[in-house]
Amino acid sequence: MRAGYLWLLSFLVFPIVGAPLLKSRAFRVFGLPTRAVLSAGVGAVLLSWTMTLFALLRLSWGPLLVLVAAAVAFALSLMLRGDDGKVPSSRPRGERLGEGRASTATLLAYGLTTLSVLVAFLATLAGRSSPDLLLFWGPKAQQFAAARTIDLDFLRAPFREYLHIYYPPLVTNLFAFPAMIAGRFPWGAATLTFPLLLGATAIGLTGTLRTDSGTAPAAATAALTTSAMALLGIHALVAGNADSFLLFFEIVGLSILVTRTAESTAGELLAGLFLGGAAASKVEGLPFVLAAAGIFLLLAPSRRRPIARTLLLLIGPAALSLGTWFAFGAVRKLFYGYQSYGHFFWIHWEYIPRVLAGFGRAFWKAGYALPFVVPLVVFLATRGKSRRALLPVGIALALTGFLGFTYLHGEVDPRLWISWSAARVFSPLPALFGLAAWCSSRTESKEFP
Amino acid sequence: MRALTSRAIFLPLVGSAVLVAFSIAALPFSRGLFRVAQTPYDASDAAFTRPAWIVLSRADPLVPRGAAVLIRTETPDPTNDMYLHRFGIALLPGRRIVPAALWGVPTPPDIVRDAEYEIVVGQTPSLRPGRLLLQISEGSVWRRER
Repeated sequence: MRAGYLWLLSFLVFPIVGAPLLKSRAFRVFGLPTRAVLSAGVGAVLLSWTMTLFALLRLSWGPLLVLVAAAVAFALSLMLRGDDGKVPSSRPRGERLGEGRASTATLLAYGLTTLSVLVAFLATLAGRSSPDLLLFWGPKAQQFAAARTIDLDFLRAPFREYLHIYYPPLVTNLFAFPAMIAGRFPWGAATLTFPLLLGATAIGLTGTLRTDSGTAPAAATAALTTSAMALLGIHALVAGNADSFLLFFEIVGLSILVTRTAESTAGELLAGLFLGGAAASKVEGLPFVLAAAGIFLLLAPSRRRPIARTLLLLIGPAALSLGTWFAFGAVRKLFYGYQSYGHFFWIHWEYIPRVLAGFGRAFWKAGYALPFVVPLVVFLATRGKSRRALLPVGIALALTGFLGFTYLHGEVDPRLWISWSAARVFSPLPALFGLAAWCSSRTESKEFP
Repeated sequence: MRALTSRAIFLPLVGSAVLVAFSIAALPFSRGLFRVAQTPYDASDAAFTRPAWIVLSRADPLVPRGAAVLIRTETPDPTNDMYLHRFGIALLPGRRIVPAALWGVPTPPDIVRDAEYEIVVGQTPSLRPGRLLLQISEGSVWRRER
């Protein structure tokens, strides 16, 4: 039990690592809780990257990791010195932004968000956890913590194909780091990352969106997104696996891109770091990042800053993170990229009916498809469709296309695969619909301070 | 109250309320809501995960590091035995876990023979594998005798 508490408390290292960047004046547009969550996200990304780099350089993991990762955060903050004061916001700057008397709607939204996180917490405590934690995320993290590096002998041992050794390293790294502090890997505590990250996502989402709208629309969007993620997570059994991390990085990163924060270098860098976290969390994080960056550039053709610079800020962290990981795999002759589930261009068109039927069954099983349908209905019913809404909608379409393609080009009947994976891999969709609804309502929401 | 009349706020809040209601309904009330589960898989869909977790956790102090351990179900089931091999790697770190089955196919006897310990999930085997170290309702732990 004590190891579990210590393991969870060790997560406090993440905001400490990210603090040198987020304490930059450029980010004071965000309130303190939001900056703490954003610091944690940045810290987690930098710490994980440092751990992979140390493994590549054959350096043992230890306290030096924290210093190096924090130094990188500090170096990034120096990059923003010239950008100081340029993070735009529709609201006045300041730490106590939007504080004061909260509206009934805001309180209601906060209440629903809190209830969603609480329900996710209770479901996790009751034992609705992901089998993937026991199958590969947990064992790898446990062994890496014991070995103080990414343990090659463990990964190369016979009969270990199921460990998916090429999966990106962020989650195993972030599970291993606190396990080194706690002295062992506490399985029960690891499952609590689901409600923990759900809460962090809600805070990050509210805090970023409120810089560009009233607090009430931001809080209402966060409530919708959080409750959809909670219901989906409970049914799809995500507690303890990488999906909570992936959604945290994807959704908070995208929420920065849909606000005016993204018009600054600081905003683009922050969004890029979060997208880097998404790419390093799960394989499907990479198509999300590419779609987000590509559509973002397409939607803002008249930008004054060079496209190359924006691309570097948005894609650079993901490229660096995955580049280090693939370099590690190649140098150690472990893997040379992501594995495909079949020959790339052998698309089994005859599987389309089975795939669609499989999606229907998988979504229905995950809370009667409500986590997908409700945010979609909210988006479609929101008045006024803004150009900025094309960003989340475009990503949703790109992701759906990528996942549909993936299921179609496997060599075996994909129905079983879809039954245990579809609800999870499509889990960004509810949040994307929620963000699209917020984008559409932005003009209207300004009437409600 | 004015904000509540805005469609941009009202719709997400109503949607959220519906989703929260269904989330609450999904909670396993029958198991006792504020009772901490014995394993992270008490409310799992896979029926054998919970007993496997309990037996393997209880076996941890009984099986020394470095020992070769066979983990299987009684009666043997190659699919479940494959997963037990993976669970063993997770819950018995530092031991050499000998697979009783891989990809749904029983492991050849010459590989299984190497195991020094045998952990059986489910009923007690009719043919005793060795000296009994632990017996609980979820399974048993044996030290093989050579």
